[in-house]
Amino acid sequence: MKNLLEIKDLHAKIGDKEILKGINLTIKQGEVHAIMGRNGSGKSTLSAVLAGNENYIVTQGSIQFTDQKGTTYNLLEMSPEERSWAGVFLGFQYPVEIPGVTNVNFMKTAVNEHRKQRGLEALSAAEYLKMMREKMAIVQMDPSFSSRGVNVGFSGGEKKRNEIFQMAMLNPSLAILDETDSGLDVDALRIVANGVNRLKTKDNAFVVITHYQRLLDYIVPDIVHILYKGKIVKTAGKELALEIEQKGYDEFE
Amino acid sequence: MDKLKIIDIDKEIFSCSVPLENAQKAYILNGVLMSGKEDIRGVQMVSEKKSITIETKENNFLQIINVRENAVLRRGEEYCIEIKANALKEEKSTIVLCSHTLGDERFSTKGKINIVVEKECGLELIIMQNENGVSVHNVDIDIEIKYGGSLKLNIITLHGGHITNTINSVLLEEQAECDLGGLYLSDREQVINTNVNVLHKVGGGISRQLFKGILDGNSKTNFNGKIVVSPQAQKTEAYQANNNLLISDRAKATSNPHLIIYADDVKCSHGATIGTIGDEELFYMRSRGISLYEAKLLQQQAFAGAVLEKIEKKELKERLIGLVERRLRGESIHCQGCSTRCC
Ligand SMILES: Nc1ncnc2c1ncn2[C@@H]1O[C@H](COP(=O)(O)OP(=O)(O)O)[C@@H](O)[C@H]1O
Ligand SMILES: [Mg+2]
Repeated sequence: MKNLLEIKDLHAKIGDKEILKGINLTIKQGEVHAIMGRNGSGKSTLSAVLAGNENYIVTQGSIQFTDQKGTTYNLLEMSPEERSWAGVFLGFQYPVEIPGVTNVNFMKTAVNEHRKQRGLEALSAAEYLKMMREKMAIVQMDPSFSSRGVNVGFSGGEKKRNEIFQMAMLNPSLAILDETDSGLDVDALRIVANGVNRLKTKDNAFVVITHYQRLLDYIVPDIVHILYKGKIVKTAGKELALEIEQKGYDEFE
Repeated sequence: MDKLKIIDIDKEIFSCSVPLENAQKAYILNGVLMSGKEDIRGVQMVSEKKSITIETKENNFLQIINVRENAVLRRGEEYCIEIKANALKEEKSTIVLCSHTLGDERFSTKGKINIVVEKECGLELIIMQNENGVSVHNVDIDIEIKYGGSLKLNIITLHGGHITNTINSVLLEEQAECDLGGLYLSDREQVINTNVNVLHKVGGGISRQLFKGILDGNSKTNFNGKIVVSPQAQKTEAYQANNNLLISDRAKATSNPHLIIYADDVKCSHGATIGTIGDEELFYMRSRGISLYEAKLLQQQAFAGAVLEKIEKKELKERLIGLVERRLRGESIHCQGCSTRCC
C-alpha cells in the first residue's frame, strides 16, 4: 500500500512555545492509527498543523501528502481549503459554532467547492438533499439539524456526530479525528464508531486521537503511538492501547 | 418637457422587477409623483408640489420607487412623503420604498418621511437605499404611534455616498409597538450615519432596535441611538442593539448608545459591538474546503441575516437577501431591468 502521509522531524510552536519537538510518522492507505497521550502532550497541535491552522508556526520538518490520484503535495505550503480539496479532513476536538450559517448552507458550500475543484458542476438542491439525508443517516442525525446554525446549541455528542457527518459528505482520504470520543456516552460512541467503520476503505486512512482505550474497542487501530511532550515515544500494535489502559502513561514516558 | 421625457423613458429606467405579484407601484422623481396615482387602488395617494401623502388601507402592498437626479436647477432638492397607516394590525400594509439616484454626479437631497400609525393599526415599511457613491442624502423619518399601533421599519442601505438616516419615533399612546431595524453596507469612502431617537411618552409600549453594519474599504459609519423613557411610561420595554463587522482594517465604526430612563418599572437593554470575522470560524470553514473568500462571505451573510430575517413580507425578504449577497460579492446590484447605475 502506498504512503498517504509522511511527517518528518516536525517542529511547531505557538508564540514562543515549542510544542511539537520532532514528530516522525508515516501513514499508509487502508491503515487506522491511534495517537494517545496525556492532556497537553500536543495531540491537538499536531492535528491543527496537519489541517493548516495558521496560529501554529512550523519551524522545522516536512509533511508530504499523496492524494487518491497519486499526486504528492508539500502540505505545509497549502492553505487549509487546499488541504481539504486534496483529501485531508480534521474532526475537531472542539467543533466551532457558527451562528447564522445553517448546517445545510455550510455543507452545501463545502461540497460544491470540492466539486468545483474537480471540475464538476454544483449539485442541484434535490441532489444535495438526497446525499445529505444518506450521510446523516450514517450517524443517526435528525434532518432537522440541517436548518440549524452550524453546531449552535448542539450537545457535545451532537457536535461530534456532525463532524462525522461532514466527513462522510467530503469523503476524505485522510481523516484525523481529534478526541471524537470525548464527551460521548456509550450509545453516541457506538454511533460515531460505526460511522467511521462504514467509511473505512482500503484506500483511505484514519488517525484517531484519544486518551482513552474505550474508543479503540469500537475502532480497532492497526498501529498505536504514544505522544509525550511533543514527541512520539512509542509505536506498537493495538495491544499497546490495552497496556496503557492497565499501566497508565508513566511507564512509557 | 423635462417631465415628459422622464415619463417616456420611465418604463426602461424605473421598471424595477421585484417579482412581487400584488405590489402596486408608484414612481417619484425629485419629490414629484410621476406615475402610479391612477393604478393605486385602495390607497389614497395625493401629490401636492413636493409632498406626497399615502394613506394605507387593508393589506396594501405598495412599492414606491423614489429617484433623485442632479437636475441643475434643482439643487438641494427636497422630498416629503407622508404615510398614514390606517389598516388594522391584522391586515397591515407593507410599503417598500426604493431610494435611487440617476447618474453618477454628486448632489445632495434632503428627504422627509412622516409616519403616523393610527389606533390599533399596523405598517411594515422597508426602505432600500441603493444610490451612487458620491451624493449626499439626509433622510429624516418622524414616527408617531397611537394606541395599540405597531410599526416595523427596516432600512437596508446597500450603497450610497454620504447617507444620514435619522429616525425620531414617539410612542404617543399606550400599547404602542415600534420595531426598528437597519442594515448598512459601506465601502470605499462612503459614510453612513444612523441616528435613532425613541421616546416612550406613555407606558405599556415596546420598542426594539437592531442596527447592523458591515464596513469595508475606507468607509465610516456612526450609530447614535437614544431611548428615552418618560416618568409616566411604566411597564415599558425598550431594547437596542448595534453590531458592526469590520472587513477592512481601514474602516471605522462608531457606536453611541444612550438609555435615559425616568420610570422605574421598565425592561430595557442596550448593547453595541464592533468586531471582525472570527479566525476560528474561518479556519473551521476553510478546513471543510470553503475558500477564504466564500467563508468570509458566509460570515457576512450570517451577520446581515439577523436584520433581513425581520422582514415579514416573504418575497421581499428573499429579494433583499439576494441583493445583499450580490452587493457583498461586489457585483453590480441594480435590480434587474433597472438602469439607474447607482453604483
Ligand atoms: N493557543 C495556545 N497558546 C499557548 N499554548 C498553547 C496553545 N494551544 C496549546 N498550547 C499548549 O500546547 C500544549 C499542547 O496542547 P494540545 O496540543 O492542545 O495538547 P493535547 O491535545 O494533547 O491535549 C499544551 O501545553 C498547551 O497548553
Ligand atoms: Mg487535544
